[in-house]
Amino acid sequence: MAPSLYLHVPFCPHVCPYCDFHKMRRDERLVARYLDRLEQEIDEQAARYPGRPATVYFGGGTPSHLSDAELARVVGALERAFGFPGTVETTLEADPLTFDPERLARFRDLGFDRLSIGLQSTQDPVLRFLGRAHDGRAAMQALDWALASGMRVNADVITAVAGQDAERDLRTVASSGVGHMSVYSLTVEAGTPFALRGVVVDREREADDFELAAPVLAEYGLERYEVSNFARPGDESRHNQSTWRGEPYLGLGPSASSHLPDGVAGAGAFGTRLRNPPIRRWLEGAPPESEALDAEGVVVERLLTGLRTREGVDLDRLRELTGRTPEAMAPAWWRDALRHRLLEVEGPRLRATADGLARLDALLRTFVQAL
Amino acid sequence: MTETRSGAAFPVHGVRYDASVEIRNFSIIAHVDHGKSTLADRILELTQSVAERNRRDQMLDTLDLERERGITIKASPVRVFYRARNGRTYMLNLIDTPGHVDFGYEVSRALRACEGVLLVVDASQGVEAQTIQNAYLAVENGLEVLPVINKIDLPNADADGAIADLEEVVGIPADHAVKVSAKTGENVEAVLEAIVEHLPPPRGDAEAPLRALIFDAVYDSYQGVIPFLRVLDGRIVPGDRIRVVSTGREFEVDRVGFFEPGFAVSEALGPGEVGWLTASIKDIADTQIGDTVTLADNPTDRPEPGFKPAQPVVFSGLYPTDSEDYPRLREALEKLSLNDAAFTFEPETSEALGFGFRCGFLGLLHADIVQARLEREYDLGLIATAPAVVYEVTTTDGVTELIQNPSALPDPDRIASIREPYVRLGIYVPEEYVGNVMGLVQEKRGEMKDMLYHGKRVELRYEVPFGEILYDFHDRLKSLTRGYASMDYDFLEHREGALVKVDVLVNEERVDALSVIAHRDRAYEVGRRIVDRMAQVIPRQMFAVPIQAAVGGKILARATVRAFRKDVTAKCYGGDITRKKKLLEKQKKGKARMKQLGTVEVPQEAFLAVLGSEE
Ligand SMILES: Nc1nc2c(ncn2[C@@H]2O[C@H](COP(=O)(O)OP(=O)(O)OP(=O)(O)O)[C@@H](O)[C@H]2O)c(=O)[nH]1
Ligand code: SF4
Ligand SMILES: [Mg+2]
Repeated sequence: MAPSLYLHVPFCPHVCPYCDFHKMRRDERLVARYLDRLEQEIDEQAARYPGRPATVYFGGGTPSHLSDAELARVVGALERAFGFPGTVETTLEADPLTFDPERLARFRDLGFDRLSIGLQSTQDPVLRFLGRAHDGRAAMQALDWALASGMRVNADVITAVAGQDAERDLRTVASSGVGHMSVYSLTVEAGTPFALRGVVVDREREADDFELAAPVLAEYGLERYEVSNFARPGDESRHNQSTWRGEPYLGLGPSASSHLPDGVAGAGAFGTRLRNPPIRRWLEGAPPESEALDAEGVVVERLLTGLRTREGVDLDRLRELTGRTPEAMAPAWWRDALRHRLLEVEGPRLRATADGLARLDALLRTFVQAL
Repeated sequence: MTETRSGAAFPVHGVRYDASVEIRNFSIIAHVDHGKSTLADRILELTQSVAERNRRDQMLDTLDLERERGITIKASPVRVFYRARNGRTYMLNLIDTPGHVDFGYEVSRALRACEGVLLVVDASQGVEAQTIQNAYLAVENGLEVLPVINKIDLPNADADGAIADLEEVVGIPADHAVKVSAKTGENVEAVLEAIVEHLPPPRGDAEAPLRALIFDAVYDSYQGVIPFLRVLDGRIVPGDRIRVVSTGREFEVDRVGFFEPGFAVSEALGPGEVGWLTASIKDIADTQIGDTVTLADNPTDRPEPGFKPAQPVVFSGLYPTDSEDYPRLREALEKLSLNDAAFTFEPETSEALGFGFRCGFLGLLHADIVQARLEREYDLGLIATAPAVVYEVTTTDGVTELIQNPSALPDPDRIASIREPYVRLGIYVPEEYVGNVMGLVQEKRGEMKDMLYHGKRVELRYEVPFGEILYDFHDRLKSLTRGYASMDYDFLEHREGALVKVDVLVNEERVDALSVIAHRDRAYEVGRRIVDRMAQVIPRQMFAVPIQAAVGGKILARATVRAFRKDVTAKCYGGDITRKKKLLEKQKKGKARMKQLGTVEVPQEAFLAVLGSEE
C-alpha cells in the first residue's frame, strides 16, 4: 500500500507566541522557492514511493495561507506524481481569517474534503492572550461557513489558559454540530515567546480542563478517541489514526517527517523515521535526518502513540512484528500498570484506562526507565 | 596537575634551594571553624607565597566541596619561606587540617609529618571538644604545642579566658600563646616568630638510608599514584630506585617536589622535608598510606610504624543509579580511598538496589562527603542508604555476628540477643544550658556518669547508645544551646538492648535497603518519621503509592505518595514521535540520584528519610 502523505506549508499570516511548529511569515520570494523545491521533492519521492495515497494532510504553518493559485500548483504536482486527492481523506489546515464560503468551494474543487480550523477559543481575551488575529465572532463565523460547505470539519480548541472558561468554549464550539474537535492543554514549549516571557500553566487548571473535556463533549456525541481528539463515530481523522497505528507515511516540505517501512532508504530492520531539515537547508537540498528503528524502538513507539488512542495497541501484531511484548520487557511495570488500572487488556488489545490516559507520560517514562 | 616550577636549582623568593636551610614542620589544628584556614591564608600572605591576584579566602581549601561548605575536609600541606627577625631564612612546611570530628583521621596522619602544632582557639568560643581532642593527639605524638588565640577582633573575645581554659582543661602550658586576629592579620607575624623560636627543627640524617613516610596520596590519571611524603632520613632525587617497604614493590622516581600548595617540582627532597614524588605507580595496591619508602639498593632497617587503621563507626550502602556503573564505582572507590584513607568498602547486594558496596565511615558528614566526592570527581550517580551503626547479634545456635546492614538482621525467632554500640559522650557547654542538654540526652536513652565544672563551663559525661546520637542529635544540641555546646565521643562497648528491625514497604513490597534498627519503644516514632518523610520527598507517581513501616508483619505507620492528576503531552502527531522518544531516553539518563524500585522512582533523599529531623 502506498504511504499516506503529509505536506508541510511553513507560512502563517502572523506568528503565535506559543507555537513551536516550523513556520514563518510569508515572503514572496521564499514562497516561490518553496514551491519550486516542493515540486522537485514531490517528483523525487513519487519515483521512490509511487501510488495513490489513502490519506493526504496539508499541515503547517497555515496551508490555507497559500493563494488559490499556489495551492492549485501544489495539488497539480501531487496529482501528476502520486494521484490526488487521497482515496479516503484529504485534509487542509486553515486559519479562520483565510477563507469565506467562496474560497471553501475552491478548496473542495481542488479535492479537499476535510478542513481543520485553528479556532482555539471563542473568548476574545483568551484569543488576545494567545496572540491570535481573529476574535470569537470570526471564529464562529468561520466554523459555520465550514460546516455549511459540506466538508468534514475539525476545530482546534486550546484549554488551561488563565482566565478562560474552558467549559463554555467547549460547549460553544461543540454545539455548532462540528463532527471533530482537537482539544489541547496550553503547553509552554522551550524557546517560544511564551517560554521567554515566563508564562506558566496552572497545573490544577490544566487537570480540571482535561477532566472536563470528555464528559462535556460526550453530551454532543463527540467521543475521545485520542488524548486530545474527539469525534462523532466515523468522523475520526483517518490520517492521524494511521500514523498512531504505526503505519507508514511520507512527509513532504521543510521539517516534515516520514515513517517508512523496511526495505527503503537504507532502512533498519524495523523501518526508518526521517525528518527533513528546516526551510533554508531544505531549499538547498540537504538530506533528512534519519533514524533506523529497532525492535525495542518500535515497541516504545507503539505504546507512545497507540496508548493515546481508544483502540489501543494490538499486542499480537506487535509481537509478530518485533518478537517482543511489553510484559516481557518490563514485568514489574506491567504488573503495576494493570494492578492500578492504568492499563487494561481486552483480547489482543492493550488500552489505557481514563486514569492511565491522564498519566500516560509518567507511564511511558517508567516503561522506558525499566528497559 | 599543575607544575608551577621546574628545573634544577630554582629561586624561591630570592632564596636558592639549599640543604642547610632550617626547617620547621607543623600542622594547624583546632576545633571546627576556629580559624585554621584563615590563619594559613595570613601566613601565605606574610611570606609572600602566593601572588596577590591568586589570593582568596581559605586558599588551602581547594576542593569544590570545601569551598561550598566552608569547611576543611582534606589536610593540605604547603611550603613557605620565612625570613625571621634573626636574619635567617626558614623553610616552613605547614599542614592545614580539618576541625570537624569526622575528619580526625586526617589530623592524626598530618601530625606524623610534623614536629609541632599551632593549636588555634577561638577567643569568643573558648576551648571546645575538638580543641581538647586534637591537643591530646598532638601531645601523644610527642609534638610541641604552640597555642594561638584567634579572633581577638571580635567584641566578645575573651583571650585570657581561653588561655586559662587551655591550661586548666587541656593542661597545655600557654605562657607563650600568641593572641591574633587571623581575619585582620593582627599579630600574625608574632606567630611566625614563635614558630621559629619554639617549635623544634626536624632531626634527620641526610647520610642515613632513605626513610620517608607516606602520609597521604592522590591518584592522577597520567602520573598514577602520587604519594605525599615526609622524609625522615636520607634524600630522594629523580632517577632513584625506591622500594615500598610493606609491598616490596620497586619504582624509579620520575620527579620529586613540594606543595605551594599545587605541585611544584624540585631537584631533591632531603631530611625533614615534606613533599611528593611520581614514579609511574599505576596500581593502587602497590602503596599504602602509612608505608615507608626507602632506596632499593640501600634500604633502611627501621621502617616507620604505619598508621593505626581508621575504625569506621557508621556503615551505609553505596549503589550506582545505573547498574552498569558498578565497575566504575569500584574503581572510583579504590582511587578515592588513596586520598581518603578513613573509609572502607566491600561488595554487597541488595534486592532493591542491585550490586553496590557497604562502606564504613567515621561519621555522617564523612559519609556525605565521600558520596559527593565520588559523584563529582568520578562522575557517578549514586544512591546511599541510611548510615547505621554496627550491631552484635547472637543467634539461638550460639553464633555471634556483627551486623553492618540492618537488612541482614536474622529473623526475630533466630535471635538470642542483640547488642548495640554505646559511646562515652562528652558535652562541653556553658552552665546555663545544662538543663536543656540533660533533657535531650535523656530522651536518647543516655545515662549521666559525671559532671565537671571548668569555670563557667560544664563538661557532662554520658554513656549513650551510639545509634541514638547519630542522626539529628548534634543539630538539636546546637540549637538547644544557641551553638555553644560541643561534643565528642568514643566507643565504649556493645550492650544488650530491646531492638527491633523496622522494615519499609514501598508499593507493598519490602525494600531491604530501607530497613533500620530501632529500640522497641521508639519503633513507631522512627517508622512514622520515615514514611512521612518519604511521602514528602518522593515525587508524584503514575499511581498513588503506599509507603508503610512495619515490624515483623505488623504495619506501624503508613503514608501515601500521590499520583499525578494529569501528566500527558497534549500533541503527539507523526512529526512529534522522534522528539518524544528522544525525550524519554534523555529522562532515563538524567536520573542521577534516583532509583527505580519496581515502577516507583525514588530519589536519594528518600533513602535517608530516617535522618530527617524530628521537628
Ligand atoms: N572575626 C574573625 N573571624 C575569623 C577569624 N578567623 C577566622 N574567622 C572566620 O571564622 C570562620 C571559620 O574560619 P576558617 O578559617 O574556615 O576555620 P577553620 O578552623 O579552618 O574551619 P574548619 O577547617 O572547617 O575546621 C570564617 O568565617 C572566617 O572568616 C578572626 O580572626 N576574626
Ligand atoms: S497559525 Fe498555527 S502554525 Fe501558525 S504560528 Fe499560529 S499556531 Fe503556529
Ligand atoms: Mg579550615
